[in-house]
Formats: sequence, structure tokens, C-alpha cells
Amino acid sequence: MPNETPDGAALDAARWAALIEAVALRQDRNAFAALFAYFAPRIKTFMLRSGASAQSADELAQEALLAVWSKATLFDPTSAGAAAWIFTIARNLRIDELRRQKRTPTHDTSEVDLEFQVDTGPQPDAGLAAAQLESRVRGALAGLPEEQLQVIELSFFEEKAHAEIAQALHLPLGTVKSRLRLAMNRLRSLLGDFS
Amino acid sequence: MTISHHPPDELLTAFAAGTLDLGQHVALATHLAGCSHCRTMVRAMEQVGGAVLGRLPPAEMSASAFAAVQARLGERAAAVPAPAVQDLSEQGFRDIAGLPPFVRQYGDSSWKWIAPKVHFRPIELPRPSETRVFLLRSKPGTKMIEHTHTGFEMTCVLSGSFAHDGGHFGPGDFDFGDGSDDHEVVIDSADDCICLVAMQGDLKLQGMIGRLLQPLIRM
Repeated sequence: MPNETPDGAALDAARWAALIEAVALRQDRNAFAALFAYFAPRIKTFMLRSGASAQSADELAQEALLAVWSKATLFDPTSAGAAAWIFTIARNLRIDELRRQKRTPTHDTSEVDLEFQVDTGPQPDAGLAAAQLESRVRGALAGLPEEQLQVIELSFFEEKAHAEIAQALHLPLGTVKSRLRLAMNRLRSLLGDFS
Repeated sequence: MTISHHPPDELLTAFAAGTLDLGQHVALATHLAGCSHCRTMVRAMEQVGGAVLGRLPPAEMSASAFAAVQARLGERAAAVPAPAVQDLSEQGFRDIAGLPPFVRQYGDSSWKWIAPKVHFRPIELPRPSETRVFLLRSKPGTKMIEHTHTGFEMTCVLSGSFAHDGGHFGPGDFDFGDGSDDHEVVIDSADDCICLVAMQGDLKLQGMIGRLLQPLIRM
């Protein structure tokens, strides 16, 4: 069952949020299984593309889902979308893992989390609710040409971002930069009213 | 505070993607601490990260993965308490405003004189980073080093202001030098100008201050 992934399109953002809340409120194992089935295999891909071995990627995906389980009560649907929240968990685990590889492990996993808390205020950006932000970003992404989307996607993996993206896509560096800029400008214009 | 110079989009994206090294991350976080505009952009890029994650093709999990995780759910059943928004403001760098809280855990040190009117104070990162981070305090009227980067330099103004041919930079502003330009920086505030600087690569400094600064910055 965990290896069977449900159709992604069927699980929309609201449903993921509801599943996380079911885990938070009732420790609902069926809800957790659904989250695992969808996200664990994708987090594994995320880790593989970030350079992890198959075994390590599998373990990191497991850790990420364990963190989803144990941190579900911290999920605040008014400040983050469900997929974005899970993304940040996977991202922070990836950072932690890279430090382990360099033999400079963090003292505990919350260290990376703390590094992303740039502000002490409880509602630093109350101006833009998560649901609005999420739907605007979704709309913006839907409107992006595939070539811009590709460049944005690759930005999430490559440390030496632009040069390597250019290489992977067989494009001149300048083209990669201009595509990323076009995509970001579009995002900015859609978010502009709020910032 | 009016912020008019922001990090370029690719740096905000890299921050959200988690691909910056710690020194770069500190510089971005310092700007973000004071800039709600860029915080919104980072949140938007985290939403993009969620969308990217959701679009990835699934990789097959190992046969035992789900059972292994299920077996461990019990040990995590007790919900972890919300991470205490640790009050780190009483730790390092007490005299410096505008730093993100986590930086206050890092090793502090005293100001070191490095040149007339210029003091330098390293921020000791808890792990190796290709990018070094330090504070630089310059007296009003200081004409700073004219230099050519061979790497990049990120500067966040914490107090005071400076100007160079790329504009005027006050508190909260972020100046990104990618190695292509020569700067002649003039401190134009009435009080000291304190900046957080993240720097990669070697500096080729010119002039007396440069000759003094260079060995120190190489550390």
C-alpha cells in the first residue's frame, strides 16, 4: 500500500491540510498513511535529485514523514500551505543530512529550523494569508511557460544553481538567468499588492 | 525604515530552497529580519517548493519503509512542544540591533582595529562555511576600500549608511557585489555605520586600508 501512490491531482492542497490536521487532532493513522503514500515517494525523489544514495533517500523520506507525524500540531494552515510545510521539513532534513556528510552534524534537528526563523514576531507577515498566497502562487505557476517552470524547479536542487542548470538544460547561462528572472517577475507581480 | 535595496531574486529563491551555505544564509536572514517584503517573497518561494515537491515523479519506497515508520509512530506520539521561541536576544552581539535571533548564539568577539576609522568583528559560524561573515564598523566620513572582488560579497546595513556608485544604502538595505564591480564606498551617515558582511573568494584590495584588511579577512 505505501508504494501505491494515489493520483496526485486528486489530492489537492485543502485535502492535504485536512489530513495533517487529522494527524494533529486525532493521531489519525489512516490520514498519516495517505500523506505517506503521496509524499514519501516524492521526498525520496527530492533527496535522490539532491545527491543522496537510494538508501539514504529512502531513510530521509521516512524521517520526513515521521517529522510530519510528530510536528503535525505545529502545522498552521493560516501561515503555510500543506505542501509548502512538508517541503520545508524535507528541505531542512536535506540541510541537516549534508552537514552530517561533512561531519559537522547539527546538535539537534531543530537547529536548522531555528536558522529559518528570521523573525521573532508571532505573525510576521499577517498581511497575506497562506491560502491567498498559496492560490496566487498556484495561479502564477499554472501561467508560467514550461521552460520557466523547469528553471524554477531546478533552482530547488542545484547548489551551484545557474551554471549547473544551464548545463543540464543545454542552455547558455544568460538564458537561464533571464528565464528565472521572467518567472520571478511574474510571481512578484502577482504578489505585489500584498508586500 | 525604508528599504530600497533588496537581495536579487535568485538569492531569495536559493534561501527558500535551502541551497545557500551558512554564511550566505546568515546574510540573507539578516536582511529578511527587517524586510517583510522579502519575507513574503521567501514564503511564496516555499509555496513554489511545495508545488515542485508535489510535481516530482514518485520514487518507489523500500518494501519495509511504511512498516518501519508505522512502528516508530508510537515513540513520537507525544506531540512535540512548540519550539520555544528562544530568547536569544540576551546572548551574543547584545550591542548590535537587527540580527536574526539564531545568529546571537554564534561566537561573538570584540571589535578589532584594522585601519583608521574601521573596526572588524568576526562572527564565528558553528560549522565550516565557504562564506565568512563579520561585522564592520566604520566612522562617518570614512572612505572605504576600493576593491575588486574575485568572489561575491553581501553587505547588510545594520545602522548608519554608506554610498557608492550603485546607490545609497541605509539600515535594512542589502548590497550584493558579484565580482564584476569596483566600489569606492563612502560612509555618509552622522553616526558609525555597522554592516554585516558575508564574503566569499579573495579580495583584491587597493590602497593602505586594503593592505591592512586583506590578511585579516583571509583569517
